[in-house]
Amino acid sequence: MASIAAAACRASLRLARNQLNRDATARAFRTSAAALAAQNFTMPALSPTMTEGNIAKWQVKEGEKFSAGDVLLEIETDKATMDVEAQEDGILMKITQGDGTKAIKVGTRIAVIAEEGDDISALEIPADETPQPKSAAEPAKPEQPSTPVAESQPSAPTSDTPKAAPKSHGRGPKRVFPPLPSVLHLLKENGLNESAISDITPTGPNGRILKGDVLAFLGKINAKTPSEVSTRFENASHLDLSNIKVAKAPEPKKAEKVAAPVPEKPKISTVEVSVSVSAVSAVQKTLEKKLGFELPFASFVYRAADLANERLPRAKATPDRLFNELLGVEKESDYFSRGAYLPDVGTLRSISSPPAAPKARPAKRSDIIDLLSAPSKRAAKPSAPAEIISGPATTFSLTVPSAEAERASLFLHRMKVILEEEPDKLVL
Amino acid sequence: MLSQRLIARTVARPAFVPSSLPRIVPSTSRWSRMYASAAEEKDLVIIGGGVAGYVAAIKAGQEGMKVTCIEKRGTLGGTCLNVGCIPSKSLLNNSHLYHQILHDSKHRGIEVGDVKLNLKQLMKAKEQSVSGLTKGVEFLFKKNGVEYIKGAGAFQDEHTIKVQLNDGGETSVKGKNILIATGSEATPFPGLEIDEQRVITSTGAIALEKVPEKMVVIGGGIIGLEMASVWSRLGSQVTVVEFLDQIGGPGMDTEIAKSAQKILKKQGIIFKTGTKVVSGDKTGELVKLEVDSAKGGKPETIEADVVLVAIGRRPYTGGLGLENIGLELDERGRVIIDSEYRTKIPHIRCVGDVTFGPMLAHKAEEEAVAVVEYIKKGYGHVNYGCIPSVMYTFPEVAWVGQSEQDLKKAGIKYRVGTFPFSANSRAKTNLDTDGMVKMLADPETDRLLGVHIIGPNAGEMIAEGTLALEYGASSEDIARTCHAHPTLAEAFKEAAMATYAKAIHF
Repeated sequence: MASIAAAACRASLRLARNQLNRDATARAFRTSAAALAAQNFTMPALSPTMTEGNIAKWQVKEGEKFSAGDVLLEIETDKATMDVEAQEDGILMKITQGDGTKAIKVGTRIAVIAEEGDDISALEIPADETPQPKSAAEPAKPEQPSTPVAESQPSAPTSDTPKAAPKSHGRGPKRVFPPLPSVLHLLKENGLNESAISDITPTGPNGRILKGDVLAFLGKINAKTPSEVSTRFENASHLDLSNIKVAKAPEPKKAEKVAAPVPEKPKISTVEVSVSVSAVSAVQKTLEKKLGFELPFASFVYRAADLANERLPRAKATPDRLFNELLGVEKESDYFSRGAYLPDVGTLRSISSPPAAPKARPAKRSDIIDLLSAPSKRAAKPSAPAEIISGPATTFSLTVPSAEAERASLFLHRMKVILEEEPDKLVL
Repeated sequence: MLSQRLIARTVARPAFVPSSLPRIVPSTSRWSRMYASAAEEKDLVIIGGGVAGYVAAIKAGQEGMKVTCIEKRGTLGGTCLNVGCIPSKSLLNNSHLYHQILHDSKHRGIEVGDVKLNLKQLMKAKEQSVSGLTKGVEFLFKKNGVEYIKGAGAFQDEHTIKVQLNDGGETSVKGKNILIATGSEATPFPGLEIDEQRVITSTGAIALEKVPEKMVVIGGGIIGLEMASVWSRLGSQVTVVEFLDQIGGPGMDTEIAKSAQKILKKQGIIFKTGTKVVSGDKTGELVKLEVDSAKGGKPETIEADVVLVAIGRRPYTGGLGLENIGLELDERGRVIIDSEYRTKIPHIRCVGDVTFGPMLAHKAEEEAVAVVEYIKKGYGHVNYGCIPSVMYTFPEVAWVGQSEQDLKKAGIKYRVGTFPFSANSRAKTNLDTDGMVKMLADPETDRLLGVHIIGPNAGEMIAEGTLALEYGASSEDIARTCHAHPTLAEAFKEAAMATYAKAIHF
């Protein structure tokens, strides 16, 4: 992790300045914008599709400070000229791509910026990095390099350089957390600098320095107590799996089998509706007269089914709907969905049958076994209506699981209404 | 309108080719439930859809594992969601409301007319909460790609689970890893047959059809006291018989337990501690219990309409076929595991009530996540020293870490700090001033060792204690953390101040 070293160097600068004791390693892991002293500022992607742009004009000059929200520069793309605003306060250290530079790929360095208050004369300019493809996905956000390459020690050393690397205490590298309130208080109370933290042996969870560690460091309590307490906690944190007494060989099992409930077969219902087809025949005849060809009855059925399938109430509450109901959200799609029904059409009486006696004839019940075992057979069924020319009345039926009976029945009634009352609209 | 829409569609599909049209739908999957074929091996097969099982299933789904969860109850969530934590909290909350309206609202300046109990509606409210939550879990299964088999699973061999389906029939599932999460059941009282009508467990206690005139609770632990509270508030005369000298079970701090007993007694619950039930007889109209002082006193007979057996829970491994794979249990019926939840067959692991540790839903949940992480990533974490317990009576009792009697017994020195709710401004304004916060810390390092709360909202407040303990905080760290005013949590802060220095307001 070369970046950790680099970050530590940079961080030490800031530490000196701000008197902030933050963990150097933690900084290197950060991905948020609050990062490093000198950063590359790369060509931002101002739209999701933008791949390159031209710099029209820099609004901030080298060495100038800017605040969050200030316009840094104008960028021309193939679509428009846009202002790029600063996300944070800072200083424009160097402009690497001046006014009027054309066709700069998104992610290419165009400037180097430093944080506000940084002594820019003391900062190295980070190496340019190859454009990262992911930067294109972050619209209008200046790319913050998260893994800068190693950088040399700052040329102008600052007054009181704090410790460079955290000391190790035999437990691997010590991790410095923001000090607990009690720890900070004790340090100050005893006139200690926060840097003293690095000399204290931590006994807390994950190497955290606890109040007891400071007390032991100050010699106020027995030096061993903190680690003794810690050991107790460590022991308590595991399940006590010692002294397990294995049960004696299990007694012969009683045959207490719960009678399996009677297998429940999926219930199936057949829904039927009798539909008068005289209206359809009338339209068919009109069409034949006007256009000279006959539109088969099946076409009417398909077109009507298409309409009738729209927005059918769902047969069963979906898990999504239940969850939405729990959360108090209502969604149309939870309650309605498009059906995919096509009715079985019963054989029609011949055209010569007296129209005055429309008689409902139950369609041939489709066999559940057929449905289950041979879905390919079903393909033939829809062709059935095609053979029917027309007739006074027929029966539309659907065989569906019982739970769907209501949904299917609504579908068939819609079919009936469409075919009996306005079949002309199906072809006009 | 009709035709307009139609035209739009006909343009898109000009030729009415029958084959391109939707078939008369129902595809086979709608007709028959599809179960995993025996050939397909899953990454993880979980037996039990309770808190341990369902959490592990969801976590495994999120980790991209192929996972199957087998549950025979018919609904997910196990004891906790169906007949435990959740329904009892519904009854506790609503019975408290009823009790408060009846006895406590007048002096607060609220006068109500005729207050009536509608037990049916009370139960319905409970069932609604339960069904909403169990369905929610089922949804989460779908969302995370967990296959859910309704049936009773049993080991056929080390990799195969045979499932007796609830809908009839049988199937089997193979798993690279298998997780036993079968939970626990109420321990029956020897000599008293459970019928869930007159001799009941917690399962029957959340579903009584009428308020019994007299009720006896055997066992003064958390479950017993919660149920005693519910039925006492609704009008029963409740007697709690506890073998030990203190209520609340062994984990509760003695000082807190005594305080709880005093408050609950004021609410009308009769306590017989240090008393054992010798025998029971339910042949008569009333159930008769012969009780005796544990230390040898005069025997006594108590009669009750309903007897609740709440003497604890035991691991449940019935019908699991552990004998088929040679898995052993310990003397208390727990599945034997190692620190990574492995049984002696390494790819079979076990978490939750059916194995070691406290029988708590949140412990099972932690373990469920940890065990999946062990399988997937090789490391998981549960801190058993930092598991809170809550009793949802009124006031609530909650604790985490060690109790005073634990520390005494282990010969560990400690410092105590307490703060009563009667000195807390929010508790005063709420007119709920019973209880206190008690903290135990190491006398030298001030590191927090345990937190014990009895008082309003203790169950929520304990989260702060748990967090402090997990992070190794000292009482001073808590005391130096700002707490909003006026809140009950200020009592928590003041107790911390009392531990390392002095409380301001007491």
